[in-house]
Amino acid sequence: MNLSTDIWVWVGVVLTFCIYSFLYRDNPLYRFGEHLFVGVSNAFTLSFMIHRIIIPVMWRPFAQACQVAGSDGVSVDLFNPIAPANFLVIIPGLVGCLYFTRFIPRMTWMVRIPIGMFMGYYTGRTVPAYFEGSVFPQMRGTLVTQAVFDPAQGGGVMSGLFAVLVLLGVIGTLAYFYFSKEHRGPLKWGAQVGIVFVMVGFGASFGFTVMARVSLAIGRFIFLMRDWLGIVT
Amino acid sequence: MNWERLIQIDRRIIFLAMGLGIIIPMLFPMEMPVGAQRVTRSLFKTIDEIDGQEQCLMISSDYTPQTEPECHPMSLALMRHAFTRRIPVLLNALYVEGAPLLASGIEDVMEEFNSRATTHEDSIIYGRDVVYLGWQPPPIVPILAMGESIAGIYPDDYYGNRTDSLEVMQRIRNYDEVGIVVAITGLSAPLWYVMFAQTKYGVKVGAGCTAVCAPDFYPYCGTGQISGMMAGMKGAAEYEELVEETFQTGGRRKATEGMVAQSAAHLVIMGFVILGNIAYFASRRQA
Repeated sequence: MNLSTDIWVWVGVVLTFCIYSFLYRDNPLYRFGEHLFVGVSNAFTLSFMIHRIIIPVMWRPFAQACQVAGSDGVSVDLFNPIAPANFLVIIPGLVGCLYFTRFIPRMTWMVRIPIGMFMGYYTGRTVPAYFEGSVFPQMRGTLVTQAVFDPAQGGGVMSGLFAVLVLLGVIGTLAYFYFSKEHRGPLKWGAQVGIVFVMVGFGASFGFTVMARVSLAIGRFIFLMRDWLGIVT
Repeated sequence: MNWERLIQIDRRIIFLAMGLGIIIPMLFPMEMPVGAQRVTRSLFKTIDEIDGQEQCLMISSDYTPQTEPECHPMSLALMRHAFTRRIPVLLNALYVEGAPLLASGIEDVMEEFNSRATTHEDSIIYGRDVVYLGWQPPPIVPILAMGESIAGIYPDDYYGNRTDSLEVMQRIRNYDEVGIVVAITGLSAPLWYVMFAQTKYGVKVGAGCTAVCAPDFYPYCGTGQISGMMAGMKGAAEYEELVEETFQTGGRRKATEGMVAQSAAHLVIMGFVILGNIAYFASRRQA
């Protein structure tokens, strides 16, 4: 046993026990650890945001532009959005500041401007990208073609069978989630095949979830037994 | 037998059994073979084929302290692989909480290699062999902008150096010089790279993810949109083994260390699931 003398390891150990005390029952130590985590995370994000983003990306170019304008006068170059000194960077900053109008009852409506811009940008970017990068290629991947059976094209009997299985699973699952018609006849059989695939999918997800949670516990136990107690190498 | 009592077993007993299931294998460690899956081998092969003179490996992480045990060993294993093959490594963080974790990982692996290096050429030099670009929100912006100019969207690196002044950045401008982006994630980062970077710029994408996310990415491995994947701690252990088998890099293999405990904990859970089911059906029969 080689107990750690590092104060930060001890802080980590105390907080680990605070959080794990919840396994016994809810208690003030757990709530202390939880609140501390939320507070520290937010403070860390905020300070990181100010020093690594707001100052170098927005404040510095704007301050430089003011400096240049003061010495050489205002020129078109100072309105070039990619120049190291430019006035334009302040515009998104000011639009972002409109989020704070939420706290002023008469001006609350102005918060819709940055939210609208944000949503518009993301929707415009995401919807076509989702179709192009996800829906269409996945549909293409579901198609059973001659190539999946052809060894000359990287296919084979097994890959062909898997391709058929995937197609069956997709059709069955879609049939199961088709609610516009009563599940009778072929639709019923399709749905019954689909439920088998859905259950296998849930089982796989659950297994992976268990593995993930156990991994996190292992990480903490390695910390306690190696870094703190020094009983494992 | 009172099956009802078994069904209503106190959850704290289950936690205790799980704890013991993890602690005991750690106290009595043993070797456990970790067979690499096809998707892990595929990722290894894709990275191994990068020409370090022409292209670099990009590691994009969005893991946080909560998912560190699964994801951090992946970053370390990837860096060991790239440094051994003399492939330059560019790293960025898509979420702020993980940014310092990645920095500590870079320092650890650099120290590991530099402690063995005998010449300046053998050493891993920051700026020449590795650059940490830091964090730039929101994720979609750097993912898209790196297609045009990496130094443009990351004017300063994590340590405050001008990115375009670093040696390796003289020849790495955008995704054209990136052999593969491996997104290590507890969320959906590999899909963002597929949707925004791959469709537009054609860059290859790899994934390293927590086990929870893995089922979401398998279909993309099937279509070849994701070139390879490390799934959870097991995936990280597989990659560590592949790197160790091929290059004998040494160094601590954090994921492999946890695999025996992982298996023991799974056995405990399976035991409880089986016991619970037996008790359930037996109690129904009694009723």
